[in-house]
Amino acid sequence: MKNHWKLGVLGVALLATSGAMAQAAVGKPAPAFTATDLAGKPVALSDFKGKFVVLEWTNPECPFVKKHYDSGNLPATQKDATAKGVVWLSIQTVPSADPKARTELQSWQATKHAAATASVIDDGSIGKAYRAATTPHMYIVDPKGQLIYAGAIDSKPTSNPADIAGATNYVNQALGEALAGKPVSQPVTKAYGCTVKYPT
Amino acid sequence: MFRSWRLLLNLLPALLPAWAAAQSTVVTTDHVRAELLAHAPEGVAPGKPLWLGLSIDHQPKWHTYWKNPGDSGLPTAFKWTLPEGVQAGPIEWPVPLPLPFGPLMNHGYDGQVLLPVAVTLAPGSGDVDVALRADWLVCKDVCIPESGEFRLRLPAGAVIDAQAKRFEAARAEAPVEPPGAKGSARVDGEVLAVEIDGLPAVARGRTLRFFPELGGVVDPAAPVEQRWDGGRWVARVPLSPQRSESPETLAVVLADAARPGGWRVGVPVAGPWPAPGAPAPAPEPLPVPAPPASLAASMGLALLGGLLLNLMPCVFPILSLKVLGFAKAGQDRRVLAAQGFAYTAGVVVSFLALAGLLLALRAGGEALGWGFQLQSPLFVAGLAVVFTLIGLNLAGVFEFGSVLPGSLASLRLHHPLADQALTGVLAVAVASPCTAPFMGVALGAALTLPTAEALAVFAALGVGMALPYLAASLVPAVARALPRPGAWMARFKVAMAFPMFATVVWLVWVLGQQAGIDGAAGLLAVLVAVAFVMWALGSPGIGARGRVVLGAVAVPVLVVAVLWAWPGLDDARAPRAAVPEVSADWQAWSPEAVAAAQAEGRPVFVDFTAAWCVTCQFNKRTALADPAVLTQARGAGVLLLRADWTRRDPVITRELTRLGRSGVPVYALYARPDQPPRLLPEVLRAADVREALAGFPTARDGGPTSRSPS
Repeated sequence: MKNHWKLGVLGVALLATSGAMAQAAVGKPAPAFTATDLAGKPVALSDFKGKFVVLEWTNPECPFVKKHYDSGNLPATQKDATAKGVVWLSIQTVPSADPKARTELQSWQATKHAAATASVIDDGSIGKAYRAATTPHMYIVDPKGQLIYAGAIDSKPTSNPADIAGATNYVNQALGEALAGKPVSQPVTKAYGCTVKYPT
Repeated sequence: MFRSWRLLLNLLPALLPAWAAAQSTVVTTDHVRAELLAHAPEGVAPGKPLWLGLSIDHQPKWHTYWKNPGDSGLPTAFKWTLPEGVQAGPIEWPVPLPLPFGPLMNHGYDGQVLLPVAVTLAPGSGDVDVALRADWLVCKDVCIPESGEFRLRLPAGAVIDAQAKRFEAARAEAPVEPPGAKGSARVDGEVLAVEIDGLPAVARGRTLRFFPELGGVVDPAAPVEQRWDGGRWVARVPLSPQRSESPETLAVVLADAARPGGWRVGVPVAGPWPAPGAPAPAPEPLPVPAPPASLAASMGLALLGGLLLNLMPCVFPILSLKVLGFAKAGQDRRVLAAQGFAYTAGVVVSFLALAGLLLALRAGGEALGWGFQLQSPLFVAGLAVVFTLIGLNLAGVFEFGSVLPGSLASLRLHHPLADQALTGVLAVAVASPCTAPFMGVALGAALTLPTAEALAVFAALGVGMALPYLAASLVPAVARALPRPGAWMARFKVAMAFPMFATVVWLVWVLGQQAGIDGAAGLLAVLVAVAFVMWALGSPGIGARGRVVLGAVAVPVLVVAVLWAWPGLDDARAPRAAVPEVSADWQAWSPEAVAAAQAEGRPVFVDFTAAWCVTCQFNKRTALADPAVLTQARGAGVLLLRADWTRRDPVITRELTRLGRSGVPVYALYARPDQPPRLLPEVLRAADVREALAGFPTARDGGPTSRSPS
């Protein structure tokens, strides 16, 4: 009986060591995924091995996303990153399959001069693997496929565009450090924004 | 008189905006009605209680957020503009509600909530002009940031108590800090282990909601494992996989859903926190089980588990092979002993190799469990081919000598030790999916240990499995009990082909579960082609020319068969045939289904099973199909769920790990959310299940309400 208990404790410790395996966590391999981009081409995370990849959860209707697009902050961050050879994937998790989501995302991105490498509509499976909770929610995968950043776009969790000027852009910061071969100083931050619209 | 009226009339237009500005207490949007309220039951004066509060009345299904909003959202924020000497304190947040949304969890309020703030006046304060700018995020399935400007004049000395009830209710809904309550917490891998003493007696035995005041630490959506140890509340709270905060003290609010308010306790976290993104250090050894003792216990259990493996149905054909090997070796004790050790070495080395692979994959971040090889259709197909070859060989269709290159064949013939070691390797490959009692626990433990100790446990498992054979080879008494060589051997050898083919039937069935009837048919075609090739090239009765002609036909046939079967067997492309086996009594498992049933207060019984697990299949057809068991489960309102692990499924793997197991079968009874699930024996009898179910009242009569699995 006593031994069973001890082993039970060890078993629970096993939960502790492996709980993070299944879910995206900084310092661990980023969960693989495949999807179809807005142009109908297949996109897999593994296609970009050897490059830095930014994953951005987005939703054109979310005020927090609008804050960063209407102000030009996210498109500028995208241009900056892609100019340095970084791959940028914008992901919209939708609660139900609606063909309109594709065209709406596409036309909205065009009007905002978004510069993502590709954009995909997700049925929730990619979001769950990364535990994406908010829009925006940002992730950076390094050339070896390890997750090196997860969290907010910047340091001021508000919907007010005026706060962008005084905020630290965590994605720029992390990419800058990683591209310079330095460790990311703030690898995990608390993402803020609207709730990701998972199928319920 | 007239003049003064006129004066007043002239002044009125000028006064109105001022009055309106001083008293603008309500903001109404499409989603909320927000009102600034005041409460000064003893008059607006220094040293007397004075409260201000924002009452938010939500439209149905809309909500605003608590100070830690959970996975998303933002807390409501106040910005006060107050006269000199007047100070507003922080929001005294009422205990929030858990607001689940898909896989996410928020903390907040719906309906009507009052967010109160205590105000202090400096001596000599006169009328107090209050201005508040409040920002709130209101969400349903969409989120709208809203704000309001509120103004209120509190005349000096005025008694304001019209809203006394609201403010009293808000105070009752705010958490209290129980005197003498003391908490402690430590990071245990990916879990925060929390213990809290001194909670009030009314809380005892209740399932408590857990709200940390700081976000970015624990996973808001993960269920909290909790129990009461006398007056101590003990909980294991999964940390957020994307933890951004490492607080020295975590203030937590605990609440009982059945009563308003809650309890607030500051819980110091015994450091150090692992750096976010760094691998968690090995959990601190717990005070009671000293590591050497627990290692010895694990090794003992592993040894026992290894012994029992010999009796497991999927090892039995191999055991037969071993007996056959014995009879061949004759009476030379030194040869026997050497073979015993060679076999033991083969078994132990294979277990170590498997352990090494498992540990390497663990390091690589793959979530997998014991028996995982059989989750791959290609591995199953490969094993079926191997068993077919062994069966054909035993049946005499071909001789090893005529197929293998001469040197290899003589290695097999002239080096019985190598042969024995290979038999040991084969035995392990087949035994791995059969999680005998004890083995699951020992394996679970082994995976948590440092690499060297884990390898020791696996080695013990191997020694246990090889022990009967080794004993027989060393102790003459045991060896003598074995049959003597004779003419029966040839017949016995052919007879042994049938258990091999039976094993192939089982493997084809497993593959059918994984890859459907097309995959199974493809495999059968490959097996026929393999048999044809072996007969053509290996049958002793065929001459050289016949061999060339038949081989020229047989080999292309095999190639075609493999090419045809391949798409159906390929891991990535094989269609997932496994429509989970659901019936009137058993439904498909998902963590959500368990959570939903528990939320309704229904106990849940889960059968973690796989097609390739013989023990699982046996239990499924006996104890778990027993009419008395099913009737009793129905009567007690127990939801019966089946988690099919035939193919890799990370969600099931995670739940198994959570239960401390890395293989199937596992039978878990989730009685109540506040109790850890109870595990039933792996060799399950109907009586075990009935006894476990006897704890539940047979209150409800009808069958389980049908709930579509989510």
